[in-house]
Amino acid sequence: MVVEYLDPTDAVIVTRTMAVRPASLEGKVVALLDISKPQGNHFLDRVEELLRERARPKAILRRTKPTFAKPAPEDLRAELLAEADLVIEALAD
Amino acid sequence: MPHEADPAEAIEQLYAQGVTDGLPVVPPTRERVRVFVEASGRPADELIARLPPNFGRATIEKIAINAVLAGCRPEYMPVVIAGVEAICEEAFDLHGVAATTHFASPLAIINGPIRKELEINSGANVFGQGWRANATIGRALRLIMVNLGGARPGVISMSTLGHPGRYTYCIGENEEESPWEPLHVERGFAPGESTIAVFAGEAPHGVYDHRSRGAPQILASIAASLAVISNYRSTGWGDTLIVLSPEHARTIAGDGWDKPRIRQWLWERLQKPVRELVPDAECGEGLPEKVLARYADPAREETLIPKFRAPENLIVVVAGGTAGRFSAVIPGWTFPGGSQLVIRKIQR
Repeated sequence: MVVEYLDPTDAVIVTRTMAVRPASLEGKVVALLDISKPQGNHFLDRVEELLRERARPKAILRRTKPTFAKPAPEDLRAELLAEADLVIEALAD
Repeated sequence: MPHEADPAEAIEQLYAQGVTDGLPVVPPTRERVRVFVEASGRPADELIARLPPNFGRATIEKIAINAVLAGCRPEYMPVVIAGVEAICEEAFDLHGVAATTHFASPLAIINGPIRKELEINSGANVFGQGWRANATIGRALRLIMVNLGGARPGVISMSTLGHPGRYTYCIGENEEESPWEPLHVERGFAPGESTIAVFAGEAPHGVYDHRSRGAPQILASIAASLAVISNYRSTGWGDTLIVLSPEHARTIAGDGWDKPRIRQWLWERLQKPVRELVPDAECGEGLPEKVLARYADPAREETLIPKFRAPENLIVVVAGGTAGRFSAVIPGWTFPGGSQLVIRKIQR
């Protein structure tokens, strides 16, 4: 005998897809997002150095989340979407 | 979702679907769920919240399905619903609590007459096993976080170590044995109202003190345990729970101390000079660079830095059995902008 059980999950939730990855960073605007964990700035300083040395981006933007404990505020996300071609987010600690 | 009617087989299937916590669950048949929805007195499709981080919709029916899975009784529904509202308040920061590498898990603290009606334990073995309401209300909240919020361990919920309270973490405050106003009255509710508070806590850390006979003595023992939470050099910490046993509470109150005085005394005692908080060869933790930059010579600086942001961050409740001079401290998840205790009225 088969009985029906109800689904405890929200099955119709929309699955998110990954953004398309660019083949090259050349000529792109790259945002480096510091999530405000200790030492994240040092890590991103080095990433910026390496990008300038090797990837020839059009520009590198540096942005910081107010706290790592919460998602980035809506206005920061809108700004990144409008101004950057891609975002590199750093954790550190 | 068709399943085998054999309960043992149903348990296996539900586990295989990833909708459990690893322990056997009660299969959520349409009829069982209907009874739970009815007990809530609310429409099945009423949306209570969208649960971060995946923002699944916690309708009354979805809450009921998870409450059935958890082994709740139908009359627990108003408590679970209020618990969902509480963890979804912005101040609780469920997005962070659900996903963090830290230990934290929501501890539900129940106040008011509903404790007696539902037999929610606030006495002996309060954090332990043996009471269905404590066992299943906390469990329902965790299953809702997983099934509607997406907080699957190792996938979205990245806690390095977790703790056993992630199966269930629910206590009543022992108002009857407390010499002070209970938590909900302190927070503006009437004594006859029932509430659920949620606190993103680590596991309880025991403080043993059988020989002290005065308020400052017992509080010195508790302060010494509070001093090392998170890391012995961490500062600027937020909401932290102090669970006083009835015996400790009675001794402290017997000296004429109330909760504000306890908080103030602990807060003042839990400060360290900058010179003890400089990252060094002994320990890499300590004050962040931007704070150290304010001082010409941090290694000699005597300015005191508080362990906790404010006395109000030290939250005191009374719980546990009437025998035993043990209390507990429970560190929170309180990075700047992190989780605060949130309390909601249970609507009946």
